[in-house]
Amino acid sequence: MAETLKILTRAVGVQNSTAIDTYMHGGGYEAMMTALHKMSPDQVLGEVKASNLKGRGGAGFPAGLKWSFLPKKREGDKQEPRKFLVCNADESEPGTFKDRLLIENDPHQILEGIVIAGWATQAVGCFFYIRGEMPQGAKIFQRAVDQAYSRGFLGKNILGSGLDFDVWVCRGAGAYICGEETALMESLEGKRGQPRIKPPFPAGYGVYGVPSNINNVETYANVPHIIKNGAEWFKAIGAPSLPGPRLYGISGHVNRPGVYELPSSTTLRELIYGHAGGILGGRALKAVIPGGSSTPVLRAGQIDVTMDVDGLKSVGTMPGSGGVIVMNETVCMVRALHNLMEFYAHESCGQCTPCREGTHWLELLVGRIEAGEGRPGDTERIAEIAGNIMGRTICPLGDAAAMPAESFVRQFKDEFETHIKEKRCPLKAAPMTSRI
Amino acid sequence: MPLLKIDDQEIETKAGETILSAALRSGIAIPYYCYHPALSVVGQCRMCLVEVKGAPKPLTACSTVVTSLPPDKKVDGKYDMVVSTKSEITRRAQRSVLEFLLLNHPLDCPICDQAGECQLQEYSYTYGDPASRFDFEKVHAPKRVEIGPHVVYDGERCIKCTRCIRFCSEVTKTGELTLAERGVHTLVEAFPGRKLDNPYSVCTVDICPVGALTSREFRFKERVWFLQSANSVCPECSRGCSVRYDTYKGDVLRIVPRENPEVNGFWMCDHGRLLSERLKDVPRRDRPGIRTEKGWAFYSFEEFWPLFLKRLQAAGNAPFAALLSGRMTLEEMAAYKLLSAKALGGPSGTALNVTGGADDELLIRRERRANLQGARRMGIAVSEENCDVTALLKGKRRAMIVREDVVGDAPEARRPAIIKALREMELLVVAGEAFTATAEMAHVYIPLSAWHEMEGTTVNFLGHLQKTARVLLPPRSRRPFYDVVSAWLKASGEEAPEGGFPAWFAEVKKAVPELSNKSLRDLLPRGLKLSEVAP
Repeated sequence: MAETLKILTRAVGVQNSTAIDTYMHGGGYEAMMTALHKMSPDQVLGEVKASNLKGRGGAGFPAGLKWSFLPKKREGDKQEPRKFLVCNADESEPGTFKDRLLIENDPHQILEGIVIAGWATQAVGCFFYIRGEMPQGAKIFQRAVDQAYSRGFLGKNILGSGLDFDVWVCRGAGAYICGEETALMESLEGKRGQPRIKPPFPAGYGVYGVPSNINNVETYANVPHIIKNGAEWFKAIGAPSLPGPRLYGISGHVNRPGVYELPSSTTLRELIYGHAGGILGGRALKAVIPGGSSTPVLRAGQIDVTMDVDGLKSVGTMPGSGGVIVMNETVCMVRALHNLMEFYAHESCGQCTPCREGTHWLELLVGRIEAGEGRPGDTERIAEIAGNIMGRTICPLGDAAAMPAESFVRQFKDEFETHIKEKRCPLKAAPMTSRI
Repeated sequence: MPLLKIDDQEIETKAGETILSAALRSGIAIPYYCYHPALSVVGQCRMCLVEVKGAPKPLTACSTVVTSLPPDKKVDGKYDMVVSTKSEITRRAQRSVLEFLLLNHPLDCPICDQAGECQLQEYSYTYGDPASRFDFEKVHAPKRVEIGPHVVYDGERCIKCTRCIRFCSEVTKTGELTLAERGVHTLVEAFPGRKLDNPYSVCTVDICPVGALTSREFRFKERVWFLQSANSVCPECSRGCSVRYDTYKGDVLRIVPRENPEVNGFWMCDHGRLLSERLKDVPRRDRPGIRTEKGWAFYSFEEFWPLFLKRLQAAGNAPFAALLSGRMTLEEMAAYKLLSAKALGGPSGTALNVTGGADDELLIRRERRANLQGARRMGIAVSEENCDVTALLKGKRRAMIVREDVVGDAPEARRPAIIKALREMELLVVAGEAFTATAEMAHVYIPLSAWHEMEGTTVNFLGHLQKTARVLLPPRSRRPFYDVVSAWLKASGEEAPEGGFPAWFAEVKKAVPELSNKSLRDLLPRGLKLSEVAP
């Protein structure tokens, strides 16, 4: 069994870990100094690109490549074009709780990554958009920002490098959709949180119309380590399709739920039965959602795969946000899907048709099966509706709802059909109607 | 320029052009709801999804720009993009979006005002499935919401295309509306404490593709397929918006804007639109009348002319004032000029420049008369803004007022002086479409057809000439001023153009050289921009 890593999570459990002195005592902000004093912005960008750091928010887009999309100063330009960074701390994917750990235990690590990214992209500042339900995290991060200003790590001419860079902590109001990058920007601007149509992409038209780069908390947190240890060191960790340390938040029916920092070459089985201590109550494993509720669900027999892009792709799913949800044999998959469908129907912003109407229809259909009122053909209809949402919406929320719907009825078709045929939940004597 | 192929048609696209606009100008049908040429593109309704060769999923035609590909990457060897509007992928996307849109739609077409001009109906017919597969209770939403003084909102019919919201934020820039709630409970709402109350609010009803926004004045009046329509011009300010009058059994039930890029774009103001309501209260007299000590006596025109001419002669050659109006068409102005020369001794006449409010940035002009620019072009003097009418009447003993109510329209403070000046006239002839306060003071009243009851031409402040239409047929005794003049001159033994509008349009052509080689056909449907604004 692979050892857990102590890179991103090294401050977890350390006393007073959020204080800037504690962070610096452990070598913190050295990478920032290296970047600002010894490396040109292009060198930093090159290093991050070479590391093949993939976005940790769920989509897995290469971070260095994303940075390079921002407009650059061209010959003849008097000054650098104005651009912003955004740190997406609106962690709200069901089953995902890794960013919160970083924010609450090691805010300076994130901040250092942000400043290094600010140097690489020559941005003027970063909006740290944190989920409304994390007041503690917002407080901790704001304190970290204040400390960084007091040491001259933020503000005008940081450490004599010529970089003027600010960080603004902004709190969301608790909508799942505001974790989508353009909805987040609308929300930042004080508007209704709903995704923008792309193109234009944020690199061309971002916050307040200014070119912007947005990354996840964990993505920024990786940056100081890449600068400090080099791209080659980073690439040596984990599988090539998802290099670097990765946080896996495991929840559900395991003995030791929590966040584990592991290389992506770890298998799901190692995570569940090794690190997380196996299934709660010694029962049999039934299903695993490998990367947050939006990723297609796996059956118990499909967990001998590594948790990188290639490994999970081989069983028809994806790494997503690293939120692993484990369900044992006592879980009714219809009820579990109904719970998810309620969530997506509730969180759909409502602007585009397939998601607004489709998520609601899915919720009704799954709810009907769960209530023992399913009709023949309902499972096929669920799959068809999911197919009609998939790829037809402005933002990925439609896909995020369609993927579990499609995969649940495909992977656990018998269970759905039994519900419909017997007009009850086989796991319970009487049909269940209440929520989990 | 990028070469686009849609189905079997090759289209040379313009720079930055989207699939949808290229398709629309090439006559290829792609269904859409949220797209509107005058509003920003949001790609929300997903109705315009089309299959693009090589793309992993269908793309929205409204937002996908056709861009050039390098020579070695061309699709099918020569195209920059290949789109199919009929493939299985496209058809499936269209069918499923329509199915989604109708899931929670009440399908109350039998009692919906939009029925007959509803895009949901149109597209369901063309692209939809005949049966619904939704076997749940529909989501209920607020209905009959008075979202503004002239607009009623139905949350169940609404498909959340946000055209109305974008209209208010982008066109009028008043920003009253927003989406509220989320998911399937999403609604259009006015912001708290606000109403959809701006000078163009009913335009939201026009652009609503479904029956969610209805006009308070028009709703439940008539099924639209029973309406008779005629294209005309709004008389309410010097913009002269291109409009369509919808009538039923002799009543104007609504007035809606017609697209005319050079005049009004897609819009018109609520004031002009609600002329349909004000028309209901106009006091009409359908026959000409002469007032004596015993009061008004009304006649047929056959009886009227001899009596009138006698009365005119009795007044002798006293100085004559003619107060004309920007509500007269060019033909009526030409007729006045001929009348003046042949029967009145040549008074030139002054068109009253009635103004009110201020020009706004969109359409509304403070010049409250449609055809003052036409008067200038016809060589008829236009008064100062809201001039003192008594100054024009000073020293005159006879007066004729055409299509103006100088008493009723005067500010309270000026009214007594105007009444006094009119009382001093030996002969006051009032010709108008309504029996106004001014008409009541006249010695002679000649009824005229209203603006929407006659054919004519009018020139807006930009020099754009358009033709009005006879939307409704007035009683035979109410006729355009040019017909009155023809009869008047004939009764006086003079020669005059006969044959109504075409004959008088020929007179206009003589006065406006630019029109000399134009026919009436050249004026339809959007009119003609005259090259130079008259000095």
